[in-house]
Amino acid sequence: MIKLKTLHLLNKPPEHSRQALCLSAVGPEDGLLLIENGVLAVTQPPQIAAERWFALGPDLEARGLTGLISEDQVLSFEGMVELTASAENVISW
Amino acid sequence: MSTLIVIDQPPYGSWEGREALDMAFSLAAFDQPVSLLFCGAGVNWLRQGQDAARVQQKSVERNLAAAPIFGVEALLADGQACLRYGLAATDLIEQASITDFGPELTGRFDHVAFAG
Amino acid sequence: MTDRSREPTKTPAPAGVFTLVITGAPYSSQAPQTALHFAKAVLAANHQIDRVFLYGDGVHLASNLTAPPSDELNLSDTWARFLSDQDIPGVACIASALRRGLVNEAEMKRYDLPAANLREPFEIAGLGEWVSSTASESRVVYFHKGN
Repeated sequence: MIKLKTLHLLNKPPEHSRQALCLSAVGPEDGLLLIENGVLAVTQPPQIAAERWFALGPDLEARGLTGLISEDQVLSFEGMVELTASAENVISW
Repeated sequence: MSTLIVIDQPPYGSWEGREALDMAFSLAAFDQPVSLLFCGAGVNWLRQGQDAARVQQKSVERNLAAAPIFGVEALLADGQACLRYGLAATDLIEQASITDFGPELTGRFDHVAFAG
Repeated sequence: MTDRSREPTKTPAPAGVFTLVITGAPYSSQAPQTALHFAKAVLAANHQIDRVFLYGDGVHLASNLTAPPSDELNLSDTWARFLSDQDIPGVACIASALRRGLVNEAEMKRYDLPAANLREPFEIAGLGEWVSSTASESRVVYFHKGN
């Protein structure tokens, strides 16, 4: 699993002002995990390298959004814990 | 562990900012390094001349002005947001300074947190 | 002398400590649900949770007066059982709780209120508990409302 400087947890949908704020704070060694309503961003993917952003599987499934991103980018809660534990910092937006 | 508490909601419309201030003041009271960052609509916390008497809330200006005395290391305002809300440096309370929001700023702290 | 050369050696998983802070209320947000799934996954990965701190609107999770429909998850009850079963302290911030009407027996008496409604095993305490997690090596993860 990729080791991140900062993991950004984003649960806001694309039109929420804090979504743009979050994206402007993602640095080149960071990663982004979309959760809850934040997974709606898979329909308007962020300008971040594919290996550095992820979406939580159960939230994608709930919203009928599976199949829009590569399986490598879909995480379970286990994967969320792994990313959170291994990152240097975690910011919840 | 140094902390940056971020406020992006404007004052008086909800209590999130007040609860963020409580977080910052608590850290300072326990001698933990903490700074406050106001961005988005949150920069309006720093506007001079607030009088909240007629909405029956406590005005936050005095609390914020006292923040450095209580140990909060900096009151930072995002420059872009200040522009959007028509705030020149002289419109802000004097304890605040304008900064650029981005990974260089957030990367300086061990913790970055919102109150909600 | 015991021959320990044939005993299986245990390679401990990297044991981290997590503190969860929930600021989103049940039903107004998905925060308590996401936090619960996350909490279970934290324990399943052999990490620890030193406390769960409820702040702002998150204090509503500690109410014992909830009666959701039987075909919906009873979040307050589920969280309370999880904290009891796993022996993890659940703390509601006193300032947030009192403002929003979440009180235990002590606060009910102190403020001469008609009832107490804090669900066991949640306790009421100040922000000092959160400060101590922030100052420690614990990984503090926040669960906010999504709107």
